Parts: sequence; structure tokens; C-alpha cells
Amino acid sequence: MKRNLLYYTFINLFVITILFSTNILAQENDAANYRMLFNFNTFKQHDNSRLLEVSFIARNKKNRKDKIPVYNAEINYFNVLNEEEILLGSSKTSNEGIAQFTLPKNYNYLTDDDGNINLIARFEGTDALAKKTAEISIKNLHLNLNLIEIDSVKTVSVVAFTINKLGDKIPINDANINFYIQGMLSKMKIAEGSINNGTYQFKFPTDIPGDVNGNLIVYSMIQDHDEYWNVAQKKNINWGVFQQQNIKEKNTLWSAVAPLWMYTLLTIMLVGVWANYLYTIIHLFKIKKEKVNLD
Amino acid sequence: MDIKKRKRELVEEFSPMLEKTSLLSKLWIGALLIIISIGLYAFILQLINGHEITGMRDNVVWGIYIINFIFFVGISYSGAFIAGILHFFKGFWKNSISRIIEIITVLSLIVGPIFILLCIGRLDRLHYLFIYPRIQSPITWDIIAIMTDLIGCFIYLYLTFIPDFAILRDSDKLKVPNWQKKLYKVLAIGYQDTKSQRERLDKLIRIMSTMIIAMAIVAYTVLAWIFSLTLQPGWNSTIFAPYFIIAGLYSGVGFIIISMYFIRKVYKLEKYIRKIHFIGAGIVLLIISLLFGYFTFSEYFSKWFSHKTQDEELLNTLFSRYFWEFIFANYIGVIIPIVILFFEKLRSIKSITFSAIIAVLGLWLNRYLIVIPTLETPYIPIQDTRAEFIFYTVTWIELALSFAGIAAFLLFFTLIMKFVPIIPMSGIISYERCKKKSHKIKTEQ
Repeated sequence: MKRNLLYYTFINLFVITILFSTNILAQENDAANYRMLFNFNTFKQHDNSRLLEVSFIARNKKNRKDKIPVYNAEINYFNVLNEEEILLGSSKTSNEGIAQFTLPKNYNYLTDDDGNINLIARFEGTDALAKKTAEISIKNLHLNLNLIEIDSVKTVSVVAFTINKLGDKIPINDANINFYIQGMLSKMKIAEGSINNGTYQFKFPTDIPGDVNGNLIVYSMIQDHDEYWNVAQKKNINWGVFQQQNIKEKNTLWSAVAPLWMYTLLTIMLVGVWANYLYTIIHLFKIKKEKVNLD
Repeated sequence: MDIKKRKRELVEEFSPMLEKTSLLSKLWIGALLIIISIGLYAFILQLINGHEITGMRDNVVWGIYIINFIFFVGISYSGAFIAGILHFFKGFWKNSISRIIEIITVLSLIVGPIFILLCIGRLDRLHYLFIYPRIQSPITWDIIAIMTDLIGCFIYLYLTFIPDFAILRDSDKLKVPNWQKKLYKVLAIGYQDTKSQRERLDKLIRIMSTMIIAMAIVAYTVLAWIFSLTLQPGWNSTIFAPYFIIAGLYSGVGFIIISMYFIRKVYKLEKYIRKIHFIGAGIVLLIISLLFGYFTFSEYFSKWFSHKTQDEELLNTLFSRYFWEFIFANYIGVIIPIVILFFEKLRSIKSITFSAIIAVLGLWLNRYLIVIPTLETPYIPIQDTRAEFIFYTVTWIELALSFAGIAAFLLFFTLIMKFVPIIPMSGIISYERCKKKSHKIKTEQ
């Protein structure tokens, strides 16, 4: 009986330990230990459509490297003016915790008296996760990218402006802009500058190869601006200076034609062997001929 | 010695093998034809459905077809090697086994390359290998080597057959169909066993013997290079070519012993294939098994010692998923033949044949372990793929075609033995002639 008690005590202790340790694990993974990072961003794309993007990540309060994406969370997007909220659409976060929604280029936004578009992204919350909201205010910037030759000089110029309620174009000032060329894997920066009085221009470099036909894609981008957020434009142009490299190919292991020694060796070996076969066949005919002579 | 009389005696002795087909032989041929038919059906299925119905996938692009190819070609090259060497011996004993080895050499070189055709996904593009050959590629070297070697072996085999064709042609008492007699006549090319013809033929055979020894080494080296010139873990090794040659000899000698055993048993050739042949072959097998064991150890030891990540992964695979196969191929397949063949008391015909069977099976598994685990552990694994696309599992299609290949080999062997005696009659006469000549010289002295 005593032994049984002891035995059961051990089992009970073991079960309690397991439960306790599971509880510890559960606490460690509890949402309360994580801070919800809910970031809202917008990109005006080259076709003038507007991408709304939410990044929804849970970050451990103690260990900042421990980040868990909140996936499959439904995000609603609104255009707000005063008390009025217009639902623009909704999308769900991906496995990486990213939700995206694209608005067409001609979308008629509600704007306030200063011409600002107020956008809200909202996660309505669940039993485990609290409601989250992020708001941004943007000015609808119009960015025109022009690639022209001025006195035979290849010139990149941009014109950037906003439009007020009366429909007048208002040139922008003090906005940093970057220019890129599309590479195989990423974009390569070729110039940066600041837009003043609505314009900026620079001479296009003359040493960029482009593709085999000399075509390249030029990007102009205003990035992370306080008022305009992200705005991009792109254009294709045949300004590349790609030149076919005419390097005389040597006979190597990897070239179309093999090294000479390989041909030589193979020929010697094959000629040696096949000459012997021929010799044998000739002698077989001689054996046959001998029979005819015997007859 | 009356040569003509002796020839008649020998034809009478061996004619039952050529004239009669017993019920057992017919059943044997029927069974082989059934296996070949199943193989053909499997081949048609593979042709229609593609390699999807085999175990070969994105990672393991070579399955047991390539293993059978290496195995058969290895037997052939070792056969050519041994046949070439045997020709330089004058003893009576070499007659009993020389033709067996020559037939094995040619047949395995015909059957082996068929397996590589089965590996090719687009057989309709096979001719591209000849239209667009790439001289730098070991595959091209291998095609050239195999074709050249096959023709060389054919010529050699034919040269050794000519005197026997002539004896069979001249035999009136031989009861074989007329077409067979006509064929003997054509193939004998008017050989009358005159002194000058004999000398000429001997010279040709001597040259061809040397040639096929050299070609066997070159061709099997090229086959080893198909693997070792790649950077794959387990293949990229400097000793792969000699290792392949030793391994080929190991399986070849084993295969010859097994063939000797069954031919002796079935055709009751105890008079010609004696225990001394088995003991001689057994000692050769012992020496080669020691060499094979040494090469195997060196190969794996250097991989283990280098601790390269990929090699380590490969060795882990060999000692986990393929544990028993590895043990059988590289321990049992080497140690058992060594133990049996080392002790004189253990050397009996049956025990030597048993050790040969173990050696051949072990060697086949060794080839399997060279090909499959390496392909299953590539440098850059395919991401997010299904397990069955990474690991290899043989399908019934591949097994059916493999057995069909073995059956085709055995069928051809049986049919050749119905056409010419398995013991070269001309060899016996030549030996007796030499013996008489030396006896005469001694008497004169």
C-alpha cells in the first residue's frame, strides 16, 4: 500500500510538473507578452493607382528579435472626412503579416480644405487580439517623368505638383527624389536630388548598358515623404550603351569546341584501334583467299 | 596424331549439345521468353507514360537502370580483360573457360548499354548524341568507347570461333538444320587449318587480345569518369577509375565462377571444367576481393576523415537509411568471400560458387550505393518538394525491365551454346598438337 502511494505520488508529481511546464509555455506564447505593431503605408504607383499596405506584426516585449506575423487578419480601409467614413475595401494579411489593397488611378477621394486625403486602416479585433487602427494623411502628388534629349544631351526631368480645389496646379518644393535603373534583381540608384519649384532635372549617365537592345527602365521615386508618402513613376527608354563583347573564344573545356589536345588524343586512339580492326579484316580476307588458292 | 580423326571425335562428343534440345531446355527458354515479354510490356508502358512510372524523379535521375548498366558493362570489361590475358597462357585448363568468358564479355556488352537507353527520357532525341557530340563530355567518350569496344569484342569472339566453325562445317555426321550448316560454312571463311592460316589467325588473336585488354581498361575508366568528373559528393574521387576496374573484375570473376558452375552442372562438363578451375578462379577472386576491400575502405575513409559537410551527410545517409545495404555490400560482400577463399579447407566447388554469388550481389549493391544515395543528397536540394521526389523507390516497371535484361542475357547465352560448343574444340586440338610437338623435340634430344 505504502509502495502504491509512493508510486502514485510520483505519477501525480510528474503530471503536475507537466501541467505546470505547459502552463509556463502557454504564458510565454500569450498575446499579452507581445506588442502589436500595426503600420499603415501608401504607395502611388507608376500607373497612378494607389497601393494601401498594412504590416501587422507581433513583437515580443522582452525579446525584440522575436517577431510573429499576424496572418489572416482582416483589415478594412476607409477614406475619412470629418465624421464621414467611406469603406474603400478590405484585405487579409498574408503569412508575412502584410495586407495590401489597390485603389484605381481615377478614384475620387474625399479631401479636406487643405487638399489632404485622410485614410484609415482598421483591424476590428478578435477574442485574442485587440482592435487596431492606423491613420495617415496624404496629399495627392502628381509626378511626371520625362526622358528627353536636349541639345543631344540625354536628360531626365520630373515635374511634381498637387492640384487644389479650384483645379490649379501647385508646384511642390523641398521634396527629395531618387532615380533608379531596373537591374536584374533590384533597382540601382543613379541620381538623387531635391525638387524645387516643381521641377528637377539631371543629365542621364552615358555608361549604363541596359539590355541587349540598349533598353532600360528609369524610375523616379519620392520615398517616405511626410506629406506625399511614396510616389513612383517609371519609363522605358532606349538609352543603354550595351555593346556585344567580341572576345575570341578559345578551345576550352567549356567552349563550343574542345581543346586541341583532346581532339588529337581521341583521334590517335581511335585511328589506332580502328586501324587494327581494319588490319584484322584484311587478314581475314587473306585467309579466305588462301582457301581459294588451295582449291 | 590423326587430326581429322580427333576432330571427328570431338564433334561426336559435343554434338549432343548442338543437336538436341531437351524438354528442360525448352522450358528454360520458354520461361526466359516470358520474362522478356513482361519486360517488353513494361517498356511499352514506360514509352507511353514516360519516366513518371519509374522511381526516377527530379533528384534521383538515375535509378537501377544505370546500376544494371554499370554492372553488366563491368562484367564485360573484366571478361575482356581476363579473356585477353588467358590467351597468353598455353595450358589446357584455359580452354575450358575461355569461351565462357568470351561469350559473357560480348553478351554483357550488348545487354548493358540497353539499360542506359531506358534511362533516357526522350529516346526520340537519341540520335542527337551522334549529330551534336560534345567532345569534352565523358558521356560522348563513353559512347565512343562502348561502341569501339563492342566491335572489338565481336571481332575477337569471331576470331576464336573460326577454327570451330571450320570443324563443324567439315563434320558430316553433325545432325543440325541445313541453314545452320550453311552458316558454319559462311562463318568459317574457308579456314582449312593450314599452317599459314593457323599462324595468321594466331597472330590476329594475339593482337586482338592485347587490344581488348587495353580497351577494357580505357572504356571502364571512361565509365568511372562519368561519375568522378562531376563534383557530386561520393563521386568526385581520384581513385574512382581504378576502383571501378577492380570492382568490375570482382563482379566479372564472380560471374564467371557462377557461369562455370551452372554450365558444368547442366551440360555435365565435369571432365573439362574441373575443381582446379574453381580453385584458380577462387584465388583470383580472393586477391581481387582484398583489393576491392582496400579500395572501398580508402574511398569511404577519406570521405569520413575530410569532414566535408556534403560527404558527412552522404555517410550519415549510408549509415542510417541504407545501413543494411551498406553492411551487405561493403562488409559481408567482401569478408565472406575472403574467409571462404582464404582457407584451403573451405575451398570446394560449392563454397567457391557461394562466395562468388555473395561477391556479385554485394557488388551490385555497392553500385546501388554509389548512385542512389549521392543523388538523394545533392549540393542544392530542391525546396518545398514532396518526399517521393527526393528519395528513390524502385517500381515494378524497372524491376521487370531489369529481369528482362538478365533473361535476355541468359537466353542469348543458351542460344549461342546451341550453335557452337562451349568448350573450344580447336583449343583442345591445338593443345594436343603442341604437346605432341614438344614430346617429339624431347625424344629427338
